[in-house]
Amino acid sequence: MDGLEERMLTLRREIRVASAAGDHARVRSLRAELRQVERTWEEAINPPPAPPAPVREHVHQALTLLGVPAAAKTIVAVDESFFSGTITNAKLTSLRRDEERSFRSSPNSRPYYLCAALSAERLSPVRGVLAVSTWPLHRRIIGPLSPRTDLLTSTIRIAEHLQRLTRAGESPLGGFRLLTAMAQNIPGAVADFGPADPDRVITAARAELAVHEEKDQQHRKAVAERAASQLAEVNQLFGAGLRTASTA
Amino acid sequence: MSRLDALRGPSPPVDHNARSIAALAANPACHRRAVLDAAGIDKGKVVQHLGHPMQFGQSPFALIRSRQFKAIVKESGGAHLLRLLRELLGLAVEEAGYRDVEDVDEHAGRALLRKHTEQLLRSAAENRGDAATIVDHPLLKLNVAGYDVYLEPDVIAFQAQGKFHVVVIKTFAIIDDQAETAKVSAAAREAAVYVHALRVLFEQLRLDPQRVSHDIVLVCPENFRNFPTARLVDVRHQLEVLRRQLERLARIDTILDTLPPDLSLDLMMDGDTPTRSAAELGAAVSGIPARYAPECLSVCELAYFCRAEAKACGSLEALGRAVRDDLGGIESVSTVVNLATGAAVPSDDQVAVTERLRYARRIHGEVVA
Repeated sequence: MDGLEERMLTLRREIRVASAAGDHARVRSLRAELRQVERTWEEAINPPPAPPAPVREHVHQALTLLGVPAAAKTIVAVDESFFSGTITNAKLTSLRRDEERSFRSSPNSRPYYLCAALSAERLSPVRGVLAVSTWPLHRRIIGPLSPRTDLLTSTIRIAEHLQRLTRAGESPLGGFRLLTAMAQNIPGAVADFGPADPDRVITAARAELAVHEEKDQQHRKAVAERAASQLAEVNQLFGAGLRTASTA
Repeated sequence: MSRLDALRGPSPPVDHNARSIAALAANPACHRRAVLDAAGIDKGKVVQHLGHPMQFGQSPFALIRSRQFKAIVKESGGAHLLRLLRELLGLAVEEAGYRDVEDVDEHAGRALLRKHTEQLLRSAAENRGDAATIVDHPLLKLNVAGYDVYLEPDVIAFQAQGKFHVVVIKTFAIIDDQAETAKVSAAAREAAVYVHALRVLFEQLRLDPQRVSHDIVLVCPENFRNFPTARLVDVRHQLEVLRRQLERLARIDTILDTLPPDLSLDLMMDGDTPTRSAAELGAAVSGIPARYAPECLSVCELAYFCRAEAKACGSLEALGRAVRDDLGGIESVSTVVNLATGAAVPSDDQVAVTERLRYARRIHGEVVA
């Protein structure tokens, strides 16, 4: 820092001398050097922000917290409440297609891919719902009961995450707001006004989950077996259907 | 070629939707609308050519808001809807299945979607164990005056007690348990169309049509928040009106018989530009009797044309149904003015009305003086 400032002083002095002597070419080159040094000095004072982590990292982080396939809107909400909140809906729209293109050009070269949830009926990609390729196939199948069990599961996981944060001495307001919003449709999870209580939410969600979970799991696993035997690897990740066939 | 096709000319027919069927039922005495709708004529183009275009379209803000609110109600497998159905209909916790008809294929045609809707509803109706409580994006078909109309209700919900309910999602607010009557009845009229179409489908599937409930579930935002709340609305009355109206549409021949045989409403389109003279077309449209009321402005494309017509001939209808009924038996505004000012002598049946008019005029005179 001190060295830079000294260099700036020297350069200014040399410019004055050179311009008094009428050596215009030297003045120009000295000026250029001075600007360069000034820029380095400014960057040393306030360094430029580190480039943000790629969107897919954020989405992966949010999905790992949720533990189930999720719609873009939920992913954005989780990222906003617990992480940096840099992803927007617009950034998510092309993500799945980019991932599919990357997988097709060199399969399995990345540690994970953000892929599609598959509809139980046709094994086609469910619109707007994202999942992680490292999850077992049955977790990415969406049967008739799956939207409900997935909501209950993800609510429990959010509540558990909030418990961990509270124990560590943090209480993220946005996180509690998200939990309240998710829990308001689970019977007995929210008492009245004010933020939801994670313990209470977990108890209520587990009670309802116990009703649906077994049937849902059976159905998902049966469909997953069918998918594993019928579909090529790329279609197991990104879905079978007219669209996939036409982009193939 | 049927008489209606001849009326329309070579242009393709315009499809009905639940709104237009409901609007038809709202003003059943209007022959003009009945004929034009039955013939599938593009009313928007006709009035544009006649120089009375619709002044306002649907607001883009309202459309976006409606889309957003529907997305909120349906998100996470209809989580809000499930809560509301549990509160409202006592749906059991076990019933939580969510089926999206559009899951078949993103680019499926209407016929395929309708077939899939049919399969889903049949399997939901025939075996109770089937987990299809909420059917999203269903597609129904209804035959209106010889044409197949495709209808897309918001959601159909299936209740454990064995009854299907049509769910209608609207964006007007319910504030302190109250909503605007006009909007609720418009929603009820629209929902009645879906209930009717669903009952027709059940009959075709040889299921009991009474399993489609006449109570619809109306989902609206609560107290200015975007938080959904729901009420049951009984649409038996609207269903009855609709049924009678559809029957009448089938007998549209009787109206056609009263019209001149060579009447044509063809715009004679050359690409996108109509070539027929506006005066000629106007005369043809005027040839079909209309029944204008100010309420038409919000539902009918032809309203501005009919209003101009009603004003031009000084018809009392332009002032609304209440005024027309109050001045029963008098046809035009000028007669009313003449009677009130004493410029005309009232006939026997106009004496009572005339007395009231003159009384009102005297009071008005005293107040403004």
